[in-house]
Amino acid sequence: MSAEAENAWPEAAVDYVKAIADTKLLLGQRYGEWMLKGPNLEDDISGASNAQDEIGQVRQLFRLLTQQGVEDDWLESSRSAEEYANASILDEEAENWPTFIVQVALADRAAWLLLDAIVHDDFTGMVQKMGEDEYFHLEHHDARLETLAEDQPEAVEAALERYFPGILAFIGPSSYGSSEDPLVSADFTDRSIAEIRGAFHEHYEELFAGTDVSVPPLEEDVPEPEAWDETRRRSGEGHVEPSVVEQLQGISNQEYVIE
Amino acid sequence: MKYHVFTRHKAGDDMIHAGTVQADSDRLARIYAHRTYDEEDWEFMGVVREEHLLEVDEQPIVGGRAR
Repeated sequence: MSAEAENAWPEAAVDYVKAIADTKLLLGQRYGEWMLKGPNLEDDISGASNAQDEIGQVRQLFRLLTQQGVEDDWLESSRSAEEYANASILDEEAENWPTFIVQVALADRAAWLLLDAIVHDDFTGMVQKMGEDEYFHLEHHDARLETLAEDQPEAVEAALERYFPGILAFIGPSSYGSSEDPLVSADFTDRSIAEIRGAFHEHYEELFAGTDVSVPPLEEDVPEPEAWDETRRRSGEGHVEPSVVEQLQGISNQEYVIE
Repeated sequence: MKYHVFTRHKAGDDMIHAGTVQADSDRLARIYAHRTYDEEDWEFMGVVREEHLLEVDEQPIVGGRAR
């Protein structure tokens, strides 16, 4: 077996990393949109730093995907909105600050848990470095959610109810226990999707304990396995707005690309 | 709330007053301080709520005449 073939990931792992990378790409976009309209300068600075971190992480994940034979066209451009595999909750810009914080908090934590579960050698060291960035993202969100839970519990709860089905679909189906999860079986990850779902839900139960915010229940049938698209890690046909795809691909400023 | 941010380059150095952040909680203040002032390789960074600073000022001597 050649070294290249020996290091080839299972096909499901390539899809898994693509979905994490696209989610981080969209996280960078959403942080960027909000970095000049947060409630105060400190939130703007944190948002700008988070955006920079996410795009840097995307570059690293794209580098690994290239090694797995993923074409530049997929990585850099020429994709339609329907081909992006980002968490569906990032498809649209949030309309207000509490909704935005819930949106990015759920997406960033879910993407981190999926990344942190990877034990393949190609990720050694890289995930640890990304974790150093992510600590500050996730602490910022949780600290913000704590204060918002006091000040605007209805807005936080409404956003949680709105985004929970989508983020559970991104994490994956509850039927992927340790014996059924194909990436655990392939030794690509060491934590099943079912376990990650439980940890994700438990985190928010603990964060909002003692507040007026109720966390939606961990529905076993969300996403429904037969309706779940493993490639795009969602149910349904939704996608990011085409105008955002134009920004991500630099189409509107194509004439200024340095060759 | 206003927090003051203090840093030092290495253990034993005097603290530098790096600046301030506005935050609704201690937890947020730590994050904001890191995000705003982590431009150098600090050995230490800490935040103090402004209300916790003790003013060092002259007080009238108890029992004496006010001057």
